[in-house]
Amino acid sequence: MILEVAQFLLVLAIAPLVTGIIRKAKALMQSRRGPSVLQPYRDLWKLLCKGSVVSNDASWVFTITPYACIAAVTVAALLVPVVYAGTFGFLGDLIVLIYLLAMMRFFMALAALDTGSAFGGMGSSREMYISSVVEPTMLLSIFAMALVAGTTSLASIAERIASSGLDLISPALFLAAAAFFIATLAENARVPFDNPSTHLELTMIHEAMLLEYSGKQLALMEMASMTKLVIFLAIMSNVFFPWGIATTDDPMAIAVGLAVFLGKLILLALIIALIESSFSKMRLFRLPNLLTVAFILALLAVISFYILGVL
Amino acid sequence: MLPLIRLFALQSIALGSLAFTVAWVTGSGHIYLVAVLTVAIKGALIPWMLIYVMRQIKVEREVEPVVSIPLSLLLCGGLTVVAFYITQPIIFTGGAIDTITKNCLAISIAVVFIGFFTMISRKKAITQIMGLLTMENGLFLAAISVTYGMPLIVELGIFFDILVAVLIMGLFAFRINRTFASVDTTILRRLRD
Repeated sequence: MILEVAQFLLVLAIAPLVTGIIRKAKALMQSRRGPSVLQPYRDLWKLLCKGSVVSNDASWVFTITPYACIAAVTVAALLVPVVYAGTFGFLGDLIVLIYLLAMMRFFMALAALDTGSAFGGMGSSREMYISSVVEPTMLLSIFAMALVAGTTSLASIAERIASSGLDLISPALFLAAAAFFIATLAENARVPFDNPSTHLELTMIHEAMLLEYSGKQLALMEMASMTKLVIFLAIMSNVFFPWGIATTDDPMAIAVGLAVFLGKLILLALIIALIESSFSKMRLFRLPNLLTVAFILALLAVISFYILGVL
Repeated sequence: MLPLIRLFALQSIALGSLAFTVAWVTGSGHIYLVAVLTVAIKGALIPWMLIYVMRQIKVEREVEPVVSIPLSLLLCGGLTVVAFYITQPIIFTGGAIDTITKNCLAISIAVVFIGFFTMISRKKAITQIMGLLTMENGLFLAAISVTYGMPLIVELGIFFDILVAVLIMGLFAFRINRTFASVDTTILRRLRD
C-alpha cells in the first residue's frame, strides 16, 4: 500500500520535471541554451501566487473545470504502474483510465466553449476531431497488450509481461507500441499535431482551450497536462516494455525499478524532443491520415495476436 | 509515387529474405536461386525501370485517389481482417502445418487484396502497375510459404512474365502520357468511336 502511494506521489512530483527535460532537450537541439529543467516548477509556483481573472460570460462550468481536470488526472495516475507493478487496481482497469482522460478532455472542451471566445470554440472543435480517432487507437493498442497478458488491469499486464522474460517480444508488441506512441503525441498536443509552446492561432488545439485561464486555475490546468504526459509515458514504458519494473516489494527490486523507469522516461522524453525538433507541424486536414495509420497499426497488433496465438 | 516504388523494392527484398529462409530450412538449392532472382529483379531492376519511366514522363505526384487516404487505410485494414478470417480454418488445423506457412499464408492473401485494392482505387497508370506487382508479390509469398517453392522452371517463367509485363506497361504509360499529356487512366474512358 505504501509503495502504491509512493509511486503515485512520484508521478505527481516528476510531472513538471519531464516537461522541463523535453523543453531543455529541444532547446539544446536548436542550439539554444534554454531554461533550466526546473523552470516548470517555478512557473507553476508563480501562477499559484497570482489571482485569477474570469470572463463575465463564464458560467460555473468554467470555474469547476480545473478541479475536474486535475481530479481526473490524479485518479488516472493512481491506476498506472510506475516503479512497482501494483496499483490501486480495485479502482478500475485500462478502460477506466482511458475514460478518465476522456472526461478531462470533455471538461476542457466545455470550458473552452463556455467563455464564448472564438478561439476556445475552435480549439475544442479541433480537439474533439482529433480525439475521435485517438481514443479507439489508445484502447486498441492497450487491448493488444491486455490480450497478450490475459487481463485488463494495467498492473497485472506489466507484471505478467515483465515476469515472462523476453519471449513475449512479438510483432503485436511493436505494432501496438508504435500506435500508442502516435496516440501519445496526439493526446499531449505534441508537434506533428500541435505545437505545445506557442499561442499562434495556426497551431492552437490544446493551448486554445486554456487561453481563457489565468492564475491558479491555469496552474491547475498546466499541472493536469504535464501529469497527463507522464501518465502516457509511464503506460508506454510499463505496459509495452515493462522489463525492469519491480514485481516484488524488496528494496533492491524497487531501486532497480526506479532507476529503469527514470531511464525509460528520460529516453522517451528525448525521443519526443527529437521528433519535435525534426518535424514540422502537419496541416490539420492531414492529421487524420497519420491517426488512421496509428489506428490500423493497433488493429493489426490485435489481429496478429489472434493469429500468432499466445507466444 | 517514388515512395511507393521504394516501398515495393523494400517489400521485394523482404520477400527475397523470406525465400532465403525457406531455402535454408528446406536445404533445396534452387530456392536460393529464386531468392537471388527475387532480390535482383523485383528489388532492383523493376523499381529502376519504373523510376526511369517516371522520370521520362515527368509524372507529378499522386494527387487524386478515388478513395481518400484514411478511408483506403481503413479498407486495407478491413481487407487484412478478411484475409485472416478466410485463412483461419487452414491455419488452425493443428500440427500438420509449419510455422512459416502459418504466419505467411494469411499475410500473403492480405497482400494480394491490398494490391488489388491499389489497382482499383487509383487513377494513375504507374500506381496501377504497382498494385499489380504487389499482387504478384503476394502470390509469390503464398507459393513460397505454402509449398516451399514451385519447380524452378515455373518460377523462372513467372519472373520473365512479370519483367515483360512491366516493360509493356511502362511503354503503355509512356504512350498514354504522350497522347493525353497525363497518365490518368480515367481519360481512356472517353475513347469511343
